[in-house]
Amino acid sequence: MQALAAAPAVPLIAQQAATPPAPAAQAERGGRGRGPGAGPEMLEVTSSDSAAVPVAQFFTAPQFAALRRLSGLIQPAMNGSPGALECGAPEFLDFLIGVSPADRQQLYRNGLDALNTHAKKQFGKSFADVDDAQAHTVLKPMLVAVPWPKDPPREPLQAFLFAVREDIPMATRNSPEFAASAANAGRRVRGGGLVWKPIDPVYRG
Amino acid sequence: MAIKEYDVLIVGSGHSGGMAARMLTQKGISCLMLNAGPEADYANDRTAEASYQLPYRGFNKPGRLAHVFQANEANAEQWVDEKEVPYTHDPAKPYNWVRVRLLGGRSLFWARQSFRLSDFEFKAGDLEGTGVNWPISLADLDPYYSQVEAIFRVRGRKEGWPQFPDGNFVDGGMPRPTNESQSIKTFTALANQRNIPVSVMRFSEGVNGLASSINLLLPDALATGKLDIVSNAIVREISTDKKSGLVNGAHFVDRHSGREMHVKAKVVVLAAGTLESTRLLLNSGLANSSGVLGHYLHDQIYGVSVVASVPEARDGKATRELMGGNLFMPRFRNLKKDEKHDFIKGYCMLVESGASAQPFHFPLYGQELQQALDHYAGSCVQGSIFGERPARFENHVTIDKDVKDAWGIPALHVDVKDGDNEHNMARDAANTLEEIFTAAKWDMVAKTDKFFPPGYSIHEVGTARMGDDPKKSVLNKWNQSHDIKNLLVVDGSCFVTCGWQNPTMTILAVSMRASEHLADEMKKGNV
Repeated sequence: MQALAAAPAVPLIAQQAATPPAPAAQAERGGRGRGPGAGPEMLEVTSSDSAAVPVAQFFTAPQFAALRRLSGLIQPAMNGSPGALECGAPEFLDFLIGVSPADRQQLYRNGLDALNTHAKKQFGKSFADVDDAQAHTVLKPMLVAVPWPKDPPREPLQAFLFAVREDIPMATRNSPEFAASAANAGRRVRGGGLVWKPIDPVYRG
Repeated sequence: MAIKEYDVLIVGSGHSGGMAARMLTQKGISCLMLNAGPEADYANDRTAEASYQLPYRGFNKPGRLAHVFQANEANAEQWVDEKEVPYTHDPAKPYNWVRVRLLGGRSLFWARQSFRLSDFEFKAGDLEGTGVNWPISLADLDPYYSQVEAIFRVRGRKEGWPQFPDGNFVDGGMPRPTNESQSIKTFTALANQRNIPVSVMRFSEGVNGLASSINLLLPDALATGKLDIVSNAIVREISTDKKSGLVNGAHFVDRHSGREMHVKAKVVVLAAGTLESTRLLLNSGLANSSGVLGHYLHDQIYGVSVVASVPEARDGKATRELMGGNLFMPRFRNLKKDEKHDFIKGYCMLVESGASAQPFHFPLYGQELQQALDHYAGSCVQGSIFGERPARFENHVTIDKDVKDAWGIPALHVDVKDGDNEHNMARDAANTLEEIFTAAKWDMVAKTDKFFPPGYSIHEVGTARMGDDPKKSVLNKWNQSHDIKNLLVVDGSCFVTCGWQNPTMTILAVSMRASEHLADEMKKGNV
């Protein structure tokens, strides 16, 4: 049941997979009668991702440029799979962080600003413009091994790099571009599965 | 309008409520069950989606279910909405209250680890010198455990160890292949050298992968024709007869319409889960002449992560002969009075062979990180623990009158803090795992003695503890309120100590025992 999240070092509480009851049994239990034939056939519609491109609007231009550079470094295209840039991971994270709690937003903004500051100080240019070796020089002091993801580093830049090392790969793997690439190559895509819809939600007007 | 009076009102539909309904109705007693949430329709309430089809691509909506570490974007709807039914705590004292209000409650989603408590827990006060024991022993619960294990089809390996009581196991054996990989054999030998007993997991097989109230208990109760179930019924307050002081029913509110309702019953059985039952009693102003109600909240620490890599299994050489399998080590600390540790009580260890290192284990990124992950893939052995948190009076809940849920019912305030005992126990566990991994000549990948905040294990118990002394406990040994004989609480609230074990089998056995006794007493006219 944790398929959508990054695998934790300590497995989270396992959950039993409930087997859907057979239709007859369900009817006996008072099913809600939303079976086939209850209305017109569903029409095929297109997802917004395949029809349009997202508009980045949370990070400043220098911050977003640093995020794009960082995304390409952390999750490059490899082993026949597209990387973070091909999968639109920075654009998705611009949206996700933009709707996240303030502390998460601050972690990202401060982290990206710090990358630019360090790059300018060491190489006289923004992080988006440094080469791979220069980028590594900037990033290396912030990289730490973490024994348990629920106890991330406390130092802000280390915490930022820990966060992006989790988020960028996940935003890449969970993108439609990554799924399409995997399907084309005949590979199984991890993630997703049975998703609960709102269950008998309360109508609040 | 006809006014119906039930023999028994049961609040809550999880394992404890389901068991009470099953036992009471089979004894011919009419029951009404009120459940705060709706009934899930497994066929229509779930849909197959890929991660990229979800609005937040599997990250879950930011800020939603902040206390439910188990939540993800696929299962978010199954948990109680924390904004709809809030609770409060000091930010410096985090508490994860993980709730499900669907019919069947958390029995729909539990991990199915199935253990009995032992007399090391029931009589812990004797061992530890505190004198605080359960008023019942393993012998009292044994026949009920056996019946529960038959209903839930518990699998396990009999060991004959007093701290790990054997059960009435299905077929007496294990359906899974035994752990024969070389890494598992190595670990077992090294653990045994240190007097650490090694067994395998015990779990409820259930039926079709489900071991819940809705498929193993409630169908039997409904088949008697003696049970009515009302869903979306949020109980606000237990009502009492002013003359006798006995309870006589409950006020509840319809989840959808907000309509206030009242139901009459001769007996009220609370089975809403430890904290909801206690919240209801506190909001009703009942069963607290001892002043103990709400106190002694405790659960289990879950965490500690120690990971090592078997050198010869790296670089794609993690064969089935070398890697794979799981081990379970029941409590092995503080089983004798003369043991000297810097903590009381104990913990169990879970070990898995054949795991992989994780990206956060390495200070790397990009291709270099991928090479490290490939190098270690399948070569790791990892261990974690469940450990007992001591029940402390100061760890308690109260009503927060300033915060109300969506139906105007005052919320719970949780005030719980870990002590040195928990940290010392976790340190001992991490060091023990490291010692064995190192002795096996495996390379350490990661080690932490950190653990999740209180509540995470979803094993919270103890806020209406049972006991023989009405001045020091809320319930008697039959789960009846000391103050009000026709009021029972049959969920985890009654626990005196939680042990290191998943509490579900004990909750079921206690509920069965209490319900059987209640039925007998009702027939005799004593209740």
